[in-house]
Amino acid sequence: MHSDIVISQSDGRPMYLQIMEQVKQRVAVGDWIPGEEIPSIRQLAVSLSVSVITVKRAYLELERDSIILTQQGKGSIVAPNPDLAPRLFHEEFSEHLEQVARLGDLLGLSSDEIAHRTRDASNRLSEARFTKETLCKETP
Amino acid sequence: MSDLSVQFAGVSKKYPHFALENIDLELPTGSIMGFIGANGAGKSTTIRILMGLVHQDCGSVQVLGHPMPSDQAAAKLDIGFVSEDMRLYGPATLAWHMDFLRPIYPRWDQSYADKLVQRFDLKPQQKIKGLSHGQRVKAALLLALSRRPRLLVLDEPTTGLDPVARHEVLQELMAVLADEDRTILFSSHNTLDVEQISDQITFIDRGRIIDSDDKEAFLDRWRRLRLVLPPDGSIPRLPGVVEVGGSNRLPVLTTNRFEPAMVSVCNDLGATVQAVDTMTLEEIFVANVHCRRERLTA
Amino acid sequence: MNYSMVKTLILKDWYFQRTAILLAFAGGAISLGIVCTGSQAAFTIGLILLVTVMAMISAMTVMGNVLGERENQTLAFAMTLPISYVEYTTSKILGNLLIFVPFWLTILAGCLGLIVATPAIHGFFAFTVIMAVEILLSTCLMIAVALVTESKGWSISAMVTGNLALNVVGYLVAHLPGIKEGIFGTQIYWTPAATISVAIEFALIALFLGGAFYIQSRKKDFI
Repeated sequence: MHSDIVISQSDGRPMYLQIMEQVKQRVAVGDWIPGEEIPSIRQLAVSLSVSVITVKRAYLELERDSIILTQQGKGSIVAPNPDLAPRLFHEEFSEHLEQVARLGDLLGLSSDEIAHRTRDASNRLSEARFTKETLCKETP
Repeated sequence: MSDLSVQFAGVSKKYPHFALENIDLELPTGSIMGFIGANGAGKSTTIRILMGLVHQDCGSVQVLGHPMPSDQAAAKLDIGFVSEDMRLYGPATLAWHMDFLRPIYPRWDQSYADKLVQRFDLKPQQKIKGLSHGQRVKAALLLALSRRPRLLVLDEPTTGLDPVARHEVLQELMAVLADEDRTILFSSHNTLDVEQISDQITFIDRGRIIDSDDKEAFLDRWRRLRLVLPPDGSIPRLPGVVEVGGSNRLPVLTTNRFEPAMVSVCNDLGATVQAVDTMTLEEIFVANVHCRRERLTA
Repeated sequence: MNYSMVKTLILKDWYFQRTAILLAFAGGAISLGIVCTGSQAAFTIGLILLVTVMAMISAMTVMGNVLGERENQTLAFAMTLPISYVEYTTSKILGNLLIFVPFWLTILAGCLGLIVATPAIHGFFAFTVIMAVEILLSTCLMIAVALVTESKGWSISAMVTGNLALNVVGYLVAHLPGIKEGIFGTQIYWTPAATISVAIEFALIALFLGGAFYIQSRKKDFI
């Protein structure tokens, strides 16, 4: 069973995270429906030309996050009730916030100034996304 | 324990200007091991000992359950081997080589061989001496793969191949592993390839194995920590730090025993962790070798 | 010992030397033809030609298929087949001898036949046999040296030694008591001296080939 997952080598993140994200996306948009069979670890490894151990890790984490279920000797399926809350992202977000607070403190910024700078950064991101979407619509 | 395709225990081999010392290696069946080392580190020697082409001075070698070199003929029935310094017969064609090998190997799969001829874009009626380097590598690989070996041993399989050919070769190697009874050992300079498809990674330098672990563990253990120190701060003592770079206030620590808890430890000690960078296999290898060589000269 | 693999290896070697082998046999046939024209001069010339062709065959097959493997880096390919040094060494020794010996036997038979048919040279019988075995011996020496040393230099030295030895042995045997008396005679004879000479030669052949086999078994670096 060929998957349509595509991995990017220039993406700086570990391969297993990329795989996890792609699987989550497919479940989120409904390409892979709850209860449906997904490629086995080995099948996916072969089709992506990625080591079995990396795919295994991705699947283990996905199972831990209740996105998929692996049945012994029978392959893997999408979990009946996949929990798509991006738990990892929450953790990462909190870590970064701690860092921002520390660095702001080192620079001698007040809490208000830190909050202000954070909002600016968020606004810039929205603007960039809007520009990109506009460009895509204009391009034939 | 039938689960080890290859097992080296305490293997040593001495040459006038080089020695392989105390090599221990374990390759589980169904996995793929990447063997990384600088030129002259001992990769080829280790592989030749595995194939029975060179006899070790001491230590035991088991390949597919056969002791080497004493049982090499039986072992080689199930092994496909491709090496940079191995040549096919120049005056003969690829077709001749296939006809030559087919009766020797009971599991020879001619339909698979034909498929590979297409895939690798080779011409069976062309003489080997007329092939380019890349085509010769692919031809040798085809002959090794078509015998459906239980163990594939490759010395620099993608060296000298153009990117398209490399991609094809990696895909075919992975396809071999779709069968979980088959194992691959390959040595390479190309850390990108090794990083992508290996389950296990072994580093070798100057005749010794300097590290061997599963790939995800390697990639997890090694990190570069970029710190910002306060004016009167000192670098926190962390386990596994093999290299300290950067400046006094902006040190960069390279560690091979990273834990997420280290970040809070640093923060508690007054050093802000600005970034925790993952490292590519190449960076890990170079750092590993530097550290070891420095330790030896110190 | 895996006889099927030995056969496969030998056939492979012959395949790659097919042109050279055919040419050598053609050369041998022509030389034999010359010898058989009957005159004394033709006999001598023909004989020299035959010996030359035989020397060439042995040099060519040995250099070609023993040293060639190392030179062309195909030794690794052969050794990664399901064989050990036993099959490899046997195939090289047998492969070379199986080309050389029929040729050699034919020529020997031809010469002896001629000697038997020509009363004037009957006396050469024993001498011819001994010298023919000497040629076989020097070929075996060259095979053994090429296999064990894998060196062109040493192989050529062995060939040169063999040729020199031929002359030296030829002289010695021609003057050996038990041979010299009848060599120019018109009688076919065979003496104990002849038997001993041939026995020593065959013993040396066994020594060279057996020695090569033994040394191969102790080699620790096949590549």
